[in-house]
Amino acid sequence: MTSYYLIAAAVLLAQIGPLIVFSVRASPQDGLVALNVGGDITTLVLVLLAAGTGREPFFDLAIVSAVLSFAGSLAYARFLERWL
Amino acid sequence: MVVAALLAFGVGMELTSVVGTLVGSTVYARLHFTGPASTFTPMALAVAVAIHYGPFSQAGIKSVIVAVLIITLGPALVHATARAARVRERGQLE
Repeated sequence: MTSYYLIAAAVLLAQIGPLIVFSVRASPQDGLVALNVGGDITTLVLVLLAAGTGREPFFDLAIVSAVLSFAGSLAYARFLERWL
Repeated sequence: MVVAALLAFGVGMELTSVVGTLVGSTVYARLHFTGPASTFTPMALAVAVAIHYGPFSQAGIKSVIVAVLIITLGPALVHATARAARVRERGQLE
């Protein structure tokens, strides 16, 4: 059963690659959208890795990632609006 | 089996969001496709973990916390992104 989590984590992780390429090549505001989706994916990959390896304290990393990816994207949006 | 189905559903929704983000015509069209990634996917994965480990286990509670964080903070992020894009396009919000 735990292998399902690891397979799902691998599939999700593979989706970050196209988003990185897109965010590098696209305009800043389009790249910000890709950053938003990538932040969600990163957080969910951490959840799946914690569940797949059975190490429950690692779920704390996903909680921290959820908050920090939101804060980082919000700060980037504000900079994009005013200065970038 | 239910856990595997929920994981497949969540990953499929995330894949839909990624494809929509890549092929959307404008930044606002792309923002629409971030919806499934910040609602259906965390919900499905949290329910899968809660079923597997138990809803009141450490893993179940923390996965639900992660899902609630993503679901509640996602719309604020979409709003901030759309606002930034509009200000960049028009020079002002109005």
